[in-house]
Amino acid sequence: MEEYNKLKHMFDKGSLSRRDFMSGVAMIGAGMAVAPSLLSGTAQAATPKVGGTFRIGMEGGSATDSLDPRTYADSVMIAASLCVMNGLVEFDPSGKPTGELLESWEAKPGAKEWVFNVRKGVKFSNGKTMTADDILYSIAIHRGETKSPAKGILKQITEIKKVNENQIAVTLEAGNADFPVILGDYHIVVVPDGFTDWQKPIGTGGYTLESFEPGVRLVFKRRGDYWKAGRANFDMVEIRNIQDPAARTAALQSGQVDAINRLDPRTVNLLMKDKKLNVVRTKGTGNRFCFVSRVTEKPFDNKDLRLALKYGIDREKIIQQVYNGFATPGNDHTLDALNPFYNTAMPQRKYDPDKAAFHFKKAGLGDAKIELQASEGAWGSAVDCATLFQESLKKAKINLDVKKVSADGYWDNVWLKAPFCAVYWGRRLSADQTFTQVYGSASDWNDSNWRVPEFDKLIGEARAELDEKKRKELYFHAQEMIAEDGGMICFAITDYLDGYAKNVMGAEAHARYDMNDDRIAEKGWFA
Amino acid sequence: MKLFGYKPTATAWLGLAIITIFIVIAVFADVIAPYSESESVGQTWDDPSWDFLLGTDNIGRDMLSRLIYGARMTIGVALVTTILSFLIGTTAGFLAAVGGTVIDQILSRIVDVMLSIPLLIFALIILSVFGSSIVTLVLTLAVLDSTRVFRLARAVATNLVVMEYVEAAKLRGEGLWWIMRREILPNALPPMISEFGLRFCFNFLFVASLSFLGLGIQPPYADWGGMVRDNGKAISFGLPAPLWPALAIAMMTVGVNLVVDWILSINSRPSGASAEM
Amino acid sequence: MLKTIAVRIVLGIITLWAVSILIFAATEILPGDVASAILGQGATPETLAVFRHELGLDRPAYVRYLEWFFNALHGDLGIAMTNKRVIVDVITPRFMNTLFLAGYAALIAVPTSVVLGIIAAINEGKFIDRFVNIVSLMTISVPEFFIAYVLILYFAVQFEIFPSLSTVFPEMGFIEKIYTTALPAFTLTMLVMAHMLRMTRTSVLSIMSQPYIEMAFLKGLTRSQVIVRHALPNAAAPIISVIALNLAYLIVGVVVIEVVFVYPGVGQFMVDGVTKRDLPVVQACGLIFAGAFVGLNTIADVLAIMVNPRLRHPR
Repeated sequence: MEEYNKLKHMFDKGSLSRRDFMSGVAMIGAGMAVAPSLLSGTAQAATPKVGGTFRIGMEGGSATDSLDPRTYADSVMIAASLCVMNGLVEFDPSGKPTGELLESWEAKPGAKEWVFNVRKGVKFSNGKTMTADDILYSIAIHRGETKSPAKGILKQITEIKKVNENQIAVTLEAGNADFPVILGDYHIVVVPDGFTDWQKPIGTGGYTLESFEPGVRLVFKRRGDYWKAGRANFDMVEIRNIQDPAARTAALQSGQVDAINRLDPRTVNLLMKDKKLNVVRTKGTGNRFCFVSRVTEKPFDNKDLRLALKYGIDREKIIQQVYNGFATPGNDHTLDALNPFYNTAMPQRKYDPDKAAFHFKKAGLGDAKIELQASEGAWGSAVDCATLFQESLKKAKINLDVKKVSADGYWDNVWLKAPFCAVYWGRRLSADQTFTQVYGSASDWNDSNWRVPEFDKLIGEARAELDEKKRKELYFHAQEMIAEDGGMICFAITDYLDGYAKNVMGAEAHARYDMNDDRIAEKGWFA
Repeated sequence: MKLFGYKPTATAWLGLAIITIFIVIAVFADVIAPYSESESVGQTWDDPSWDFLLGTDNIGRDMLSRLIYGARMTIGVALVTTILSFLIGTTAGFLAAVGGTVIDQILSRIVDVMLSIPLLIFALIILSVFGSSIVTLVLTLAVLDSTRVFRLARAVATNLVVMEYVEAAKLRGEGLWWIMRREILPNALPPMISEFGLRFCFNFLFVASLSFLGLGIQPPYADWGGMVRDNGKAISFGLPAPLWPALAIAMMTVGVNLVVDWILSINSRPSGASAEM
Repeated sequence: MLKTIAVRIVLGIITLWAVSILIFAATEILPGDVASAILGQGATPETLAVFRHELGLDRPAYVRYLEWFFNALHGDLGIAMTNKRVIVDVITPRFMNTLFLAGYAALIAVPTSVVLGIIAAINEGKFIDRFVNIVSLMTISVPEFFIAYVLILYFAVQFEIFPSLSTVFPEMGFIEKIYTTALPAFTLTMLVMAHMLRMTRTSVLSIMSQPYIEMAFLKGLTRSQVIVRHALPNAAAPIISVIALNLAYLIVGVVVIEVVFVYPGVGQFMVDGVTKRDLPVVQACGLIFAGAFVGLNTIADVLAIMVNPRLRHPR
């Protein structure tokens, strides 16, 4: 089996751009070294069988959950929404966008004007046929006066209108070849025009909602007339909210659920020995774990200090000890190796206490103490990572104070405020989005406060550059700039790890999210 | 040999021995511990071996060394917290019982109100007002704990206040403080000492329970409660790592309470009343 | 005595009212912004402003308190900010679950620990006393999740006797609920027993030096008779007080158990509310917890007055 990862915090999730296709296949292949049965997913695809109650145990829910798509922030609601509703765009296992409710699309040259064809003959669970109006409404709720997290990525739309019942035209403020990927954002799901009763959502999905107790469980029933052939094969689907990783694992082992997400990496080896279970791993698409310093604040305005810290972290050791090897070392920027623009020429930065000591000395800070703020609120093992960082710096004679701060309110009170703190980033839809959001001068989330006009210019050029080779050169240079000068130590990118009972078919790897792009309820079936 | 004029029983000796050993370990941690408290010397959760007698912890640090160093923080913080909470709680509790209805109701209701606020919210507010430091931690825990001590102290003292000897003291015109100290305290000691033994041990774990709020022992320093917490997951796949700190807490708990039992038995053995002479 | 009890009950109600103010104030001054907690990092200043207005957060606090308080008196706890659900509808089944689990654990733990405590006191210093003491002390030396994991490992994963997921649903029958929640109930039982057991033992023993106990011995009663008939009633106050504290813990302090056993109680509901700064939810949970707590304390005080002969007839 294969797996991919997903992030868990409120950051919006990214998906692969369609250009990630080829390298995506290669990397998922690499993941198979751990789970050799990975490719069996394709073999299974023979004939899905209908029936059974599929019970999923998932982390990423809360008693405050709602089915209103403007509130989705984590896995449980994403997976739940895709049972009842459909998105505009789906992604194939390699991450390439394919048609869902928008069947196909075409861009005028320059990728500024787009025409989308609405799928015909799709019916809502209330019997109404889905049309362009429903799609316009479902996009409109994320624009204008709204608290939708998708608002930002839809800002580039200057005009969106119905051409006819089955066609929509979109005009963007500037060309964007990846626009269909943007429409694949998980917040954008389709409901009938004017719909507001989010406690009883109506959609075009393969199931209808039976019951919903936020933070406890959701129950779905098969519709039977799903427009996607061979999909939505379970009679009933039950999504249980199980927050504790040990509890999830125990539930899977004792057969109380059929699938779980976010395995504790330390249990993976154990679970892989269990003959009743399948472990699915997707390498290096998960969360990017970082320690971020604000380059405008003392002493981090000193480039040599930043370099010292980057050389002084033992990435391999952290990955081994905290993630049991289920992560890849980061190269001090948040782009991952699955992205086609990932700089393969730049050497992986390694632990080098001598270099760290050299740069630290050059920085001329004496034996100054440096404080790193970390918390379980950043991510579960942030404090462990920080403690190991502290130890590895000792060899370079650098004193790091690790301050454990409150998990509650961490993103409000510490992130973007503390001079040096633990941060994780999720995958972004494209290289452009990664660079613009994490390092762009205009971004509110530029947590290292590294604002470099030269870099912005570089990214702007790359966005407009249509020649892949030239674009690649520009992005390669951008990564070098960040890694060399930026305030971020990105030391690990995790794997997504899912567990399934052996009889669950269709549990394939997906380059976007775990649990088969959060669509295992739709794509799976019982053997 | 006698202690405070009494001869300890065999079990009391055992308890005293455990406590003494732990205190010696805490004081001489630097000399005894085979590794440093913070250095990651092995793999995650290595099995016990000659190199690591109790194996390693969740990020490869030597478990034994962390237990030894952890004794300092754990015993120190728990002891200070418990003493503080008993000073506050017992005084207030006795005062409530002796001082008459008005004082009693005021104190009792204040405590009720405090206890009624969920711990999480209470801790968050303390944190936002005072920030996180070891002093904040100790004070927070002591205040929270003292409310519980208060309930017990008041309950015990209320029973005593109606006794003849207290009535007599009141009639003699003794002051509140005198009555609390000379009449109530000696007679209320047994349940209070017993409670002290338990609260002290609860506090080993209590200290760690707020650590997700940053209110706790800061890394890389070890404390037993935190060690159980950090390594707790290992037990769910059958690794013994969290057993060691738990065992240390258990031994300390048993040790303290063996001594407590002995002190209690001195107190409750006037005549033929006891089964064991 | 009736008057004393009535006064105590009235005071309990006043306390609850004071608590309601404090809880409201506490949630108000909780650091962190409601709107930005719900909206997450995706929030822009303008969406925040829209949202705050939508939630009515731009009105003065005392207005909102009075509104909240009077609504609460009518059993209306408001609507959750995050998912717009009616809080009473959500919290009622959860509170029932909390009470069910607490009651389950208490029904096992209280009688067992009081009886064991008495047995230990009767056999003070003998093997059974030491054994009961040490075993119960061991159980409080480990955090709650530790006991929970061990029970899950053996009873759910290895031998599959009880389920590790203890979620109860409305459609379940009583027996099924008892079976489903066996593991969390056992865990809680182990957590609270030591405290009550030791307090029973100590309180009884501490009475043993009183003159009237010696008198009873002189009358020729056996040790067990003396303890049960004479020592226990007079030692009851601290025991009741400790039992009340532990029952309160079973109701308000079991978030970790709820998480590990996936049990839908009020504790997890409140934590989620706090994390998302969903103030009406936090306030509702706080109020319910406070009600349970004040109620238990009031009952404990009333009982203490009733069982103690001297308090029963104050001079």
